[in-house]
Amino acid sequence: MRDADERYFARLEDELDTAMDVARSARERGGDPTTDVEIPVAKDMADRVENILGIDGVAERVRDLEGEMSREEAALALVEDFVAGTVGDYDTKAGKIEGAVRTAVALLTEGVVAAPIEGIDRVEILDNDDGTQFVNVYYAGPIRSAGGTAQALSVLVADYARTLLDIDEYHARDEEIGRYVEEIELYDEDTGLQYSPKEKETRHITDHMPIMLDGEATGGEEVSGYRDLERVDSNSARGGMCLVLAEGIALKAPKIQRYTRQLDDVEWPWLQDLIDGTIGADESEDETGGEEDEDGSADGERDTQDDDASTVDGPPRAEPSKKYLRDLIAGRPVFSHPSESGGFRLRYGRARNHGNATAGVHPATMHLVDDFLATGTQIKTERPGKAAGVVPVDTIEGPTVRLANGDVRRIDDPEEAKEVRNGVESVLDLGEYLVNYGEFIENNHPLAPASYTVEWWVQEFEAAGADVQAMTDSVEIDLDDPTPSRALQWAREYDAPLHPKYTYVYHDVSVEAIDALADAIADGEIVTGDGATAEPGDHADRAGTATGDLVLPRSEIARRTLESLLVEHTQTDASLIVPTWRPLVETLGFNDDLTRPWTLSDLSEAARTYDDGENAIEAVNEIAPFDVRERAPTRIGNRMGRPEKSEERELSPAVHTLFPIGEAGGNQRDVAKAAGHADEMGDAPGEVELEVGRRRCTDCATETYQARCPDCNGITETIYVCPDCDREVDPDESGRAECPRCETIASPTRMTTIDVGEVYQQAMDSVGEREVAFDVLKGVKGLTSKEKMPEPMEKGVLRAKHDISAFKDGTVRYDMTDLPVTSVRPAELDVTVEQFRELGYEADIQGDPLIHDDQLVELNVQDVVLSDGAAEHMLKTAAFIDDLLESYYGLDPYYELEDRDDLVGELVFGMAPHTSAATVGRVVGFTSAAVGYAHPYFHAAKRRNCDGDEDCVMLLLDGLLNFSVKYLPNQRGGRMDAPLVMSSRIDPAEIDDEAHNIDIVEQYPLELYEATREMAHPEDVDVKIAEDTLGTDEEYTGFAHTHDTSNIALGPDLSAYKTLGSMEDKMDAQLEISRKLRAVDETDVAERIIEYHFLPDLIGNLRAFSRQDVRCLGCGEKYRRMPLTGTCRECGGDVNLTVHEGSVNKYIDTATRVAEEFGAREYTKQRLEILDRAIKRVFEDDTSRQTGIGDFM
Amino acid sequence: MPRETPARIVNELASRGYNTDREAVTLLAEAADTEAAIERAIEAIPDDAIKLSVDDVRDALETGSGRSDRSHNSPSTSSSSPASDGDPLVSTGDEPPEPRDDADRSPVETKGVHSGESPPGTSSRTGRNPDEPSIAGDVTGRSTGTGEYEDFLAVFRDRYEKLSGQLRGRVNHRPTNAVESMPGGSEAAIVGMVADIRSTANGHWLIDLEDTTGTFPALVMKDRDMADVVEDLLFDEVIAVEGTLADDGGILFADSIHFPDVPRTFEPSTADRAVSAALISDVHVGSQEFDADAWNRFAEWLHTPEADRVEYLLLAGDMVEGVGVYPDQDEELDIVDIYDQYEAFAEHLKDVPGDMEIVMIPGNHDAVRLAEPQPAFDEELRSIMSAHDATITGNPSTVTVEGVDILMYHGVSLDEVIAELPEEHASYDHPDRAMAQLLKKRHIAPQFGGHTRIAPEERDYLVMEDVPDIFHTGHVHKLGYGSYHNVLTINSACWQEQTSFQESVNIDPDVGYAPIVHLDKLDQRDASDFLTIRSFG
Repeated sequence: MRDADERYFARLEDELDTAMDVARSARERGGDPTTDVEIPVAKDMADRVENILGIDGVAERVRDLEGEMSREEAALALVEDFVAGTVGDYDTKAGKIEGAVRTAVALLTEGVVAAPIEGIDRVEILDNDDGTQFVNVYYAGPIRSAGGTAQALSVLVADYARTLLDIDEYHARDEEIGRYVEEIELYDEDTGLQYSPKEKETRHITDHMPIMLDGEATGGEEVSGYRDLERVDSNSARGGMCLVLAEGIALKAPKIQRYTRQLDDVEWPWLQDLIDGTIGADESEDETGGEEDEDGSADGERDTQDDDASTVDGPPRAEPSKKYLRDLIAGRPVFSHPSESGGFRLRYGRARNHGNATAGVHPATMHLVDDFLATGTQIKTERPGKAAGVVPVDTIEGPTVRLANGDVRRIDDPEEAKEVRNGVESVLDLGEYLVNYGEFIENNHPLAPASYTVEWWVQEFEAAGADVQAMTDSVEIDLDDPTPSRALQWAREYDAPLHPKYTYVYHDVSVEAIDALADAIADGEIVTGDGATAEPGDHADRAGTATGDLVLPRSEIARRTLESLLVEHTQTDASLIVPTWRPLVETLGFNDDLTRPWTLSDLSEAARTYDDGENAIEAVNEIAPFDVRERAPTRIGNRMGRPEKSEERELSPAVHTLFPIGEAGGNQRDVAKAAGHADEMGDAPGEVELEVGRRRCTDCATETYQARCPDCNGITETIYVCPDCDREVDPDESGRAECPRCETIASPTRMTTIDVGEVYQQAMDSVGEREVAFDVLKGVKGLTSKEKMPEPMEKGVLRAKHDISAFKDGTVRYDMTDLPVTSVRPAELDVTVEQFRELGYEADIQGDPLIHDDQLVELNVQDVVLSDGAAEHMLKTAAFIDDLLESYYGLDPYYELEDRDDLVGELVFGMAPHTSAATVGRVVGFTSAAVGYAHPYFHAAKRRNCDGDEDCVMLLLDGLLNFSVKYLPNQRGGRMDAPLVMSSRIDPAEIDDEAHNIDIVEQYPLELYEATREMAHPEDVDVKIAEDTLGTDEEYTGFAHTHDTSNIALGPDLSAYKTLGSMEDKMDAQLEISRKLRAVDETDVAERIIEYHFLPDLIGNLRAFSRQDVRCLGCGEKYRRMPLTGTCRECGGDVNLTVHEGSVNKYIDTATRVAEEFGAREYTKQRLEILDRAIKRVFEDDTSRQTGIGDFM
Repeated sequence: MPRETPARIVNELASRGYNTDREAVTLLAEAADTEAAIERAIEAIPDDAIKLSVDDVRDALETGSGRSDRSHNSPSTSSSSPASDGDPLVSTGDEPPEPRDDADRSPVETKGVHSGESPPGTSSRTGRNPDEPSIAGDVTGRSTGTGEYEDFLAVFRDRYEKLSGQLRGRVNHRPTNAVESMPGGSEAAIVGMVADIRSTANGHWLIDLEDTTGTFPALVMKDRDMADVVEDLLFDEVIAVEGTLADDGGILFADSIHFPDVPRTFEPSTADRAVSAALISDVHVGSQEFDADAWNRFAEWLHTPEADRVEYLLLAGDMVEGVGVYPDQDEELDIVDIYDQYEAFAEHLKDVPGDMEIVMIPGNHDAVRLAEPQPAFDEELRSIMSAHDATITGNPSTVTVEGVDILMYHGVSLDEVIAELPEEHASYDHPDRAMAQLLKKRHIAPQFGGHTRIAPEERDYLVMEDVPDIFHTGHVHKLGYGSYHNVLTINSACWQEQTSFQESVNIDPDVGYAPIVHLDKLDQRDASDFLTIRSFG
């Protein structure tokens, strides 16, 4: 590690230690559930694993093993320890296997995610039909967060333990196999699987699987065939099991095989058939099914290879894939249909705000798709991954549009985009789409042919003998943006391909179109600026460019061809005027006298029939006096996924204090209301019957529900009482308190009457606040934690005062979409270079001293950029913490922030959903984009990538002071999304390894571009990626990028999806944009909206209507069916429906209109017609309809 | 030849026009040479018998020749016997077996079945002369619900009123609010709608009974015989519970549970002339799996003299495959346009003799509202299917032909009954058992909130106020028939081969069967006397 890195981490850790000290002394004084900070600091992954699992000795053993072997191998080695009993303290075989499986999953997920504790419920030993025993692993839904590899290996680990413990294999009964098949299909339909195994694959797996995979029922839908099986407790789909089988075993078979081969005791020979796809005899028909068009190639990792096949007499092309269009949602537009001309053009490169699962889009494009794209908006994409977060990059080419005034031009300036936006008739091309090389590595996707860009050209130019270095240094020459004559001169002089700036998209037009265009040019003339027609001969010796425009007679085919080629021009009723025409006409073989020198018959047969004549690139290369490359061979289709997010995390309804008030506070859970509430006349106001913890003071034996004794302020402890015999029970080591007499589980809670009014008053008094300090203080109905210990209400009073609300674990959180950034400018973060220097930044990326606000600085791995909203929220939280320290804990304030500039340098926790480990980060600046920018390693440490994922930040001291495990819900998944442990420093080797696939070079080599034409595998090209620096001194630094962007928050601040009001407005805007984009088929969009959004909604609501629950308008009581009394049986209040006519038919008119307007298929229209009739038949009174008597006869 | 499965044996026999019973199939399956055994058995039985009994098979296997006296005493299978001797239990089988040499010349389905349904001398009739059916309990044109809370309330109150009326005479009923104030230890009875069923920690059952005054819990101890009955209960059916109040009141310890039920003494009405009705359903025209050949054979058969007495054709829903019934259905449609589907269905219907009376109700694949009760096809669809001037009515409807009441219901609720009840009481292999449960509950689709969709109307059209003589459903694509307290239950099969969906959930449909009910013989003891299953698949 470099000294600078050492200093950086030391700084963070010092700051962390200071905060820890403050938090400890506060918690010793206050009424928190424990007297110490509850988020232990983990030095490394081994620590995290041990902390999350709570199995002593694991960390030490993991550290021993880590040096010697891979993590997967370590997981297997640990199995032996568990079996031998050297790690973990388990008496039973089942316990040993369970410990080993949990540890394996924890290891493989770097001790960050909650899967090992929440995703594996238990391991059981059950009996086979032949009397032998087998192992059953019982999974739960949260196993999802472990990912396929860890899921699959958990099974392997269980099997390894099984063989070591000499337990027999599981022999599935026939009906169980049938059940697996049906259940996986059901789950796939209901919830969706990344990989849907074919029926025979599922059969094959379950038939051979030596371990029984079982799990908790997750879905509501039940299987209909194989029900009520003896060894399967539920008729619903078992989500965890389905994930492990499909996305684990079936999808990751090759990976598991790698490890089974290393183990002598474990043999899974059946994996080979799974990998080869040779299950059963009918191999031939399964690969060529009709699913190809929808499924395309990206169906999981297993079948990505089928991209590379292409025909001999056509250009190399990635296979179009429609999959991303599935489940299109109303209001979220399609930007391009698969691989469609006019869609995004693939450009290779990594911008500084680019990393895993991100896509660089020009900010002008964002504006011209009517602001639907903003920084952080998620798009579902055709390739290389499935989804990506949009980042603004203005060093790539913008969109090309046709304006109402006839101008066809490329827009490279976001301001210009906004100016012309209203005049745009058609977006002919969406501009470039920047994808980094590492993204192809990560997705294991063959390289797709690259656009011809300056980065590529310049390397070919140099190879052709040009002194590129000298030209770069020359003031007169701009290699990126040469004049037409210079570009043409270079092409001739060096025999190099024509500069990309003047290379048009010839491969998107047919040979016929080029022929027609050539005719038009031959009929054209050069018109000088003053309108005079120049004599053709005059142009022979011209060196400059501004001598006149090429004016062509307008024809439909010439117009369309110029538009498809993306030649900038102006259209009038009679003509097409091309100002920069010389590169075009020279490419098409013309001299300046515009005499056509060739005819179609001069072309070779191969060129004329290349790609069935639909692609003119070969023809153009025969005509042109120089090489012409394919300008944009790969177009990438995509549509909008989720909008970006930046908002505070609130429970619903929002909660200020985790103090229960039952129904007394009304639906608002208003504490003040509860304080004055009385059930009946004569009841004492404020007294509420509540279930809370049963605790006793260790000093004076006073019974209370609070953490501290109300009499002597002594510490209290939980008392377990048997519900049957009322005797006190001491919990055993595992925390289980079973009554020795009744064998029932003793309860740590009791029902008691609490004077909420008194608690409320005391809380306000204690922190010196009055009711006027806040609008409303909201509590919770009841506590869901095991011991049901309420939070001190004082905290709630202060939260209400500062207008922030608490999450279920007592912390205050702010959610943001994750985006990566590796280098930043202080100016764009709204901070000064002085502040940056104070943070320890000394030099810019070139190594020059940091002096100016706009110098580019490489970001430290744990530094984060907050959105404006997050900064404001953190300021409020800091004020709350200071108040809390002063008036509740009686300590000095910690933050004392005046404005948001003071936030710079403060520490926060980053914490992702489905995980249980927080990562410490440091605020370095702010952005107007509604996202959280941070180093890709920071996101990877939280196990996030950036394809629209979102997670939260918490202020450091808030987490330390207010988090308690005791508040967490006592239910499946309750420990997810809670900071059970924190990582104080990021070890690049211990983060999600997808971050290691980020490329870190300034320029991609020529062979990469050439390899893309071969559609080679990305691993076959040598580009330096982050993985290459792991374990070296350079592992925290040197994240170079190929493309800059002038600001990381260009384009609209918010997606139009969020600024438009109703769903109908959004959908109208979506359809409007689909008409404007050349690459989009608006009829298909309309069909898909109807098919995937409106019809399911209509059908679902109509179905829901006729089997709905009802609810009491008074007390909120729900009834499965209308009570015969008519009114609420609880309170006598009026009962009403939960699904009304309005929610059933709200979309029918819109859907019908859209179907008509956009020419949907007759089938679709009929479905709507039938539904419309069905709805009317339910909601209309026949007898009051004006109908003929014939209807009834 | 691979070992014969029972299903194949049944199909083989059915294709030759014979019914059989389970034990007989088992015997045949176990025979060394099943095919030969079938041949022998068929040769051995009398010409006019259409049911192969255990004895027939046993004789065939043991002696290789038929005997003359065989009894047919299985009530839920059919056979026909000559009416001449008036004793349905004995057939006359003394004639030597006839050589079956006509199989090659015409479809076996329509030949080889030597009609036993017409007594000698009556087969000379020319032409049919059916009456126009009359309809009751049809919602069509009377749907007044506008989807308000009050409409739903009216449905359930009407249900409670009608069904509790069936039960009140049998128990000493008290309203739940009155029971609440009764002293502990008293005897009490409650007629209530089942609001909830829970099992207690000790495995007993707690049933919340609801009436218009409130709810009251009844406890069924797990060791009582009637605990089994609890497994047959569905939410929202109406039952009566008699028992004793707990000492501190608050709960009723159940001693007995009563259902509205069909009286055991029920006697079905009969036609007073020799006339039969064909009960079919689930034609699914438009589906790629629609078995047009089977349908054509059926229609052809109706033109033969054998079918002369079949004057009525009842269709219990799903005329067409429909559109948008499930996702991506268009990929499995032969005819994508819904109106073209009905046109095609109408064409197929024209193949049926013009002098038959036809009654049609819609099903869940038809283009009407799915919520039940379903009104009949609207004017547009009627005009497409106008060929036979069929009686087009809602689902459900009670159709009276020749004095016999036939309750026609498409059968969507059967799915739920089969899912909820123990397999031995309701299964896809025995849809008639599920139908018996509905008769017992006197309601077509008791459970609200689950699978079945309810459209609220001013009254509950799904209550079986009167006991039908025949209960006819379809939907599950399985053939099933039985008799429940003398009510003939028939789930007609279908005319659609196995779909990919059915394959995925392991349902093997019965394709191309037409149950023929002899309306004049419904009072006979043996179902074989009044029911003949014709196979055209």
